[in-house]
Amino acid sequence: MSTEQAATSRVRAAELVQPYRVHGSVYTSPDVFELELRRIFREGWVFVAHESEIPEPGDYITRRLAGEPVIVVRGKDRVVRVLANRCAHRGNRLCNAEAGNSSSFRCPYHGWTFSNDGSLVAVPMRDGYGERLHEVREGLGLVPTPRLDSYRGFVFASLAPAGISLLEHLGRATGAIDRLLALSPTGTLQLTAGWMKHHQQCNWKMVMENNVDGYHALFTHQSVYDAVRPAKVSHVPSKVEVYVRDLGNGHAEIDYLPEYTRLDEEFVWFGRLRREQAPEYVAAMEHAHGPERTHRAFVVGPPHTLIFPNLFLAEMNIMTVEPLGPGETIAYTTPALIPGAGGLNGRMLRRTEGAMGPAGFLIADDGEIGRRNQLGLAARQPEWIELSRGLEDDLTDETGVVNHDKSAETPQRGWWRHWAAVLDGRLGAGEGDA
Amino acid sequence: MSTAETVAGNETADPPTPQGIPDEDISAFLFLEARLADEARYSEWESLWDDDALYWVPMHPDDDPATRLSYVYDNRRRIRSRIAQLNSGARHAQTPPSVMRRLLANLEVLERTADTVTVGANFVLFEHREDTTTWAGRYVYVIRRTADGQLRLARKTVHLVNAAHAVPTLAFLL
Repeated sequence: MSTEQAATSRVRAAELVQPYRVHGSVYTSPDVFELELRRIFREGWVFVAHESEIPEPGDYITRRLAGEPVIVVRGKDRVVRVLANRCAHRGNRLCNAEAGNSSSFRCPYHGWTFSNDGSLVAVPMRDGYGERLHEVREGLGLVPTPRLDSYRGFVFASLAPAGISLLEHLGRATGAIDRLLALSPTGTLQLTAGWMKHHQQCNWKMVMENNVDGYHALFTHQSVYDAVRPAKVSHVPSKVEVYVRDLGNGHAEIDYLPEYTRLDEEFVWFGRLRREQAPEYVAAMEHAHGPERTHRAFVVGPPHTLIFPNLFLAEMNIMTVEPLGPGETIAYTTPALIPGAGGLNGRMLRRTEGAMGPAGFLIADDGEIGRRNQLGLAARQPEWIELSRGLEDDLTDETGVVNHDKSAETPQRGWWRHWAAVLDGRLGAGEGDA
Repeated sequence: MSTAETVAGNETADPPTPQGIPDEDISAFLFLEARLADEARYSEWESLWDDDALYWVPMHPDDDPATRLSYVYDNRRRIRSRIAQLNSGARHAQTPPSVMRRLLANLEVLERTADTVTVGANFVLFEHREDTTTWAGRYVYVIRRTADGQLRLARKTVHLVNAAHAVPTLAFLL
């Protein structure tokens, strides 16, 4: 048993999660964090990149996956791969650029060169390997992630060779990706504006959970609504038909669809944009989807959906998180630009800057609240965090567990139920990585 | 070099020969701007800006804001909103305001036009909340002298040395 396994084998998540409350240590315990890295970020499916970030053969980006450096690269065969960013010879980090285009990667330490499909193509002064050369050349390529799959451009990876399929993992959350892509005339996105990287002093789960917390906006974001502009629709639950939903598998959302449908007004979700402000986009949408589906898409707008564990479809933004430690997280955000949307994309950039990231009118305050949450949890009492809001009004239907009060803690209850099951190895875990 | 009218551009492509150092009143204006930002004197800081203001914190010096995301890209209207939020008393990320002091150094003129002067300066900023965070980078300012001799800030670009990587919350005035 490794040291890591010895530490994490002490954790029993079922003891930390009850139907309506969770133990405070889920945010602070180093043992819980180590187990999360293993069960969730190594063995499970995690969002790693979007295909539009590497559109051409040879395009690559570098990322970290559960702390491991990886290269996400489109080979000359156009296949997207996620490769360990480690020279297979002595372990040097091979690619040190954030992004680029290259047919191969050459290690500056001893000159070993790897094709962008991962195969080892050149070993300098190769005679020195004698009879082992063949074995070295065949066996020492860049190691691909055991599993890689994508759904409509969103690329997910798992560092475990076995486990449930991506589609099984995504479950009902595919509907949220579909809802976003219904706003694109081409059914695709262009995540090419760059990612804001926000270093937050809190647990990664606080960042994610808060995204589907319909209760906090009136308080955390009061300064925006009072001093800058009113909210798109009221955050007072009794005044709106905004639902919250546990979609299963830890996925959850705040669903504005009933309220937007009731209003039957286009672009309530985009500063009440008027069609004449985005003529190229409207024309492209009507050409692609026809007038009725276009009107419907403009009314119902994008998803506000968290996809377990690290992807948040933040309406017209995409957010992902990288856990660095129990109290340290990087949040990455980029706008969901739409091919052929013309001036709409420029508006989207400015809206993202206004709301999101370290200086954003919304997220800077969420980051501060997260930091104080982490500080507050240093007090060990009360032991439990209360998540019972709306428990008695939860309704189960074919869409999941729904609550018609947007401030209900239904999304959190779904998130934690799944989290505990994954940590305890009761579902969704790979078999080969233990 | 860029002027207030230019949107994009590589502001690190500064002139290779000395263009002089700023006049005394220009330097004094920039030191005042720095002090008002340090001391969270939000409305007084806002009053330094001209109508065509642009307060820009890019993620890479060469980024074109027409296609690339920035940390901050505030026109005059958004500066007003940012200040209104800070003045609300409920901007939690700045409640209480960070205690700050910044040093400006290497002030040099980069370009002069009939009514503007572009100044580059390096800075170090110490921000204290419960820990001290050190920020550093380069400011590029475009300052306008109005017909009645007043100085107005038309543009302030902040190139953080760590802009390409993860940065902490920056809800204060950089």
